[in-house]
Amino acid sequence: MIFEPLHFRNLTVKNRVLRSNISGRFDLYDGTGTDTRINWELKFARGGVGAILSSWTAVDVRGRIVPNYATIDRDDRIPFWRTLGERVHEHDCKYIVQLCHSGRQRELPTLHYPTGLSSTARTDLLHGFPSEPATPAQLREIAVSFGEAARRVREAGLDGVEIHGANGYLFTQFLSSAVNDRKDEYGGPLENRARLLLEVVREIRVRAGSDFHLQVKISATEHNKALLPWAGDGNTIDDSVRVARWLEEAGADAIHVSRGISFPHPENPSGAHSADDVVGAYDVMLSSGRHTFRTYLMLRTPGVGRLTARRWRTQPDAIRERNLADARAIKRAVSIPVLCTGGFQSATAIETALERGDCDAVTIARGLVANNDLVRLFAEGHDLPPRPCTYCNKCLYNVLEHPLGCYDESRYLSREEMVAEIMSVFDEQPAVVAVNEA
Amino acid sequence: MSADAIFQPLQLGPLTVKHRVLRSSLGGRWDNYDGSGTSTRIDWDSKFARGGVAAIISSNAPVHQRGMLVANYASIDTDERIPFWREVVRRVHEHDCRYIMQLVHAGRERILPGLQASPTGLSATDSPEPLNGFQAERMNVEQIREVIAQFVAAARRAREAGVDGVELAGAQGMLFTQFLSSAINDRKDEYGGSVENRARFAVETVRAIRAEVGPDFCLGFKISIRDHMNELLPWMRSGNTLEESVQICKWLEEAGLDYLHVSVGGGFPHPRNPAGEYPTANVVATYDTLISSGSRTFRNYLMFRTWPLNKGFRWWWERPGRKHGIEGINLPEARAVKQAVGIPVLVTGGFQTASVIAGAIERGDCDAVTIARPLIANPELVNMFAQGLDRAPRPCTYCNKCLFTFLEHPLGCYDERRYESREQMIREVLSVYAGAPLPSEVVGATQL
Repeated sequence: MIFEPLHFRNLTVKNRVLRSNISGRFDLYDGTGTDTRINWELKFARGGVGAILSSWTAVDVRGRIVPNYATIDRDDRIPFWRTLGERVHEHDCKYIVQLCHSGRQRELPTLHYPTGLSSTARTDLLHGFPSEPATPAQLREIAVSFGEAARRVREAGLDGVEIHGANGYLFTQFLSSAVNDRKDEYGGPLENRARLLLEVVREIRVRAGSDFHLQVKISATEHNKALLPWAGDGNTIDDSVRVARWLEEAGADAIHVSRGISFPHPENPSGAHSADDVVGAYDVMLSSGRHTFRTYLMLRTPGVGRLTARRWRTQPDAIRERNLADARAIKRAVSIPVLCTGGFQSATAIETALERGDCDAVTIARGLVANNDLVRLFAEGHDLPPRPCTYCNKCLYNVLEHPLGCYDESRYLSREEMVAEIMSVFDEQPAVVAVNEA
Repeated sequence: MSADAIFQPLQLGPLTVKHRVLRSSLGGRWDNYDGSGTSTRIDWDSKFARGGVAAIISSNAPVHQRGMLVANYASIDTDERIPFWREVVRRVHEHDCRYIMQLVHAGRERILPGLQASPTGLSATDSPEPLNGFQAERMNVEQIREVIAQFVAAARRAREAGVDGVELAGAQGMLFTQFLSSAINDRKDEYGGSVENRARFAVETVRAIRAEVGPDFCLGFKISIRDHMNELLPWMRSGNTLEESVQICKWLEEAGLDYLHVSVGGGFPHPRNPAGEYPTANVVATYDTLISSGSRTFRNYLMFRTWPLNKGFRWWWERPGRKHGIEGINLPEARAVKQAVGIPVLVTGGFQTASVIAGAIERGDCDAVTIARPLIANPELVNMFAQGLDRAPRPCTYCNKCLFTFLEHPLGCYDERRYESREQMIREVLSVYAGAPLPSEVVGATQL
């Protein structure tokens, strides 16, 4: 079943494996895209995935999480995305842009705004990222930025958009009963907490047309207690099933199932928490939040660091099954396709999930960072790649300071081979950057 | 008028520059992580060329991946990099401005080196860098020869790229300083001990480059005349004396230099370089990025962030600037070197007043000045001098926020007081991206 095409309402993808959203600080600080990003995406297109879900793409300057991710906040960004799409399409691969707003979850905010816009004035509990509740007028502006961004994606000749409604960013901050403390029509009962997301779906339909592929990624279950054992657990699967139904009614073409109230979260991405890599690369975030001293100690103090790592670690197989259970519950409730993420990399596991009807396709991030050609390996008859992803999560923890790639030395013959592989994304640079003779 | 001395041409060996104000070396993390250059760097350097400086000394360009100070600076470590620099030079020359490339090996000064640099820095010593605790590995003689060969190859590439000269980064605690300085170099072999031995690495490099590039290519050396390591951390020895450094300058001149570029400080940043304010909030905001680069992390975390340690450290850091003044702080050192050598002497240190610069030149303290911070604040400074202004209407305040912001944000002037509003400041800082190119395929870039 992996190699059967998947038909969405407005889009057909050649197989059932999509690359999930992964970013990498490959672009310019201001959000201008670079050839490095194109090189990066081509690795996966060549490797045989049916479609690529883009890097985390901000629709608005205030909604960026990290500088050096290409944005889609202005019309002059369109040519970059068009070029990227043309290059990806050469490999019979579709390209879907993930439209994002960080809300208060801003790991390394750019210069423009000292606080993030959110449902609430409370800082995020892990880092203490500063937060400001958005007014209804600001929410209206945000909905328009999403609609405009989707229009740009369509003008760039790309194949669809995904609203990032998962993993702790703006929409989670509204959807979640553990975060949203508003008293107005955007807070309180689930209908109200889902209002912003549904308004954005409608706005995109208005500005990009009803025949343009639109999917929504949600955290089907939030598991706030995994981070803060004393707090509420956040939305349950029953809540998310209702949200999924509303999304279908509002015009979404597919639901993409993830989990976790934040990013990263012990259950997403599942697996190890590499204390050394966290220390090495997350230091840059200390000054972004208010809980810097606590974070410093938690990351760096030998005993505490190890304890944090042990508490954080989860079993990828178990989490994948739980994601599939969530996907199954949503799939039963809606008639649009359901995509599921969560550490997939073996052909049988994917095949089983598809045959059981848990989901219509899987999306993969880490498994593909380790083996860009995973789908080709499946086609050649491999069940698992010879050197599979180990779920060490070093890719994630290195992304802020170093190029995105697989940093598990045990998968390489030597450290030199690893560095060469990571740096290969910079190959094939144009000899001289194109210069605007303005 | 007072600025006449500024607008006289100057001969730097085979290179003529049109007047006496050069832009000093300035980084900015504009480039790709691997050291390939971007159009942002070209646009950045073009700002200063347009503003009227006689020459630009480039960002520090690593001659080898292991000698990288910070990732995202364009490098000159392989032949592949030549076309990028050729384009930089072409664009800068359009403004009748010369381009000198600064070649660096940072040694143990490793603020944020890339992955490609192995875990430790090469140095004269195996003691870590004292302020941050960057780890060091003592070079053996074979490694010294390799690094000299890397400098020679980089100079050859620079020449092929059409730059007008190269300058060796021998100041501010970079690898050459680590050999030159009596406060750092603890070797027992022919590269340590006496002044002559400590100077051997630098002198051999200058000779080797001169042999490679020939007599008709400008070659300069930037040197910290006094290390003042005890002003960085009070329990350290001060380092080289004025007399020792003047002697080193004479040897470098004999080895074939065309000019000397005078600075101070055995590390970077240093209370005397750049002298001025210590912007606590900005230090806090960017120091976190450095934490994992060194081993002195907890001490510095507390020292930079905790009251009253941060107050005390700030007082300590700002003391030399208070005591000696900022503009022209290095003129006594420049004068001493100028009296001892026959080649031109450039000096850096807070210059931004035409009469001060002209006075220094007329007195014979130096032949030209190099400017970094005041040109970030006013890229048009030299054009203003030419129009008769003695100072820019909104001069640089030496707040040093440019320096303490660039690791995480674009290099630029971050002193809000100099702008109408914070929004105007951000617009100005981000203006360097205004000409950012579309991907090469879109505009059909010529592949050089």
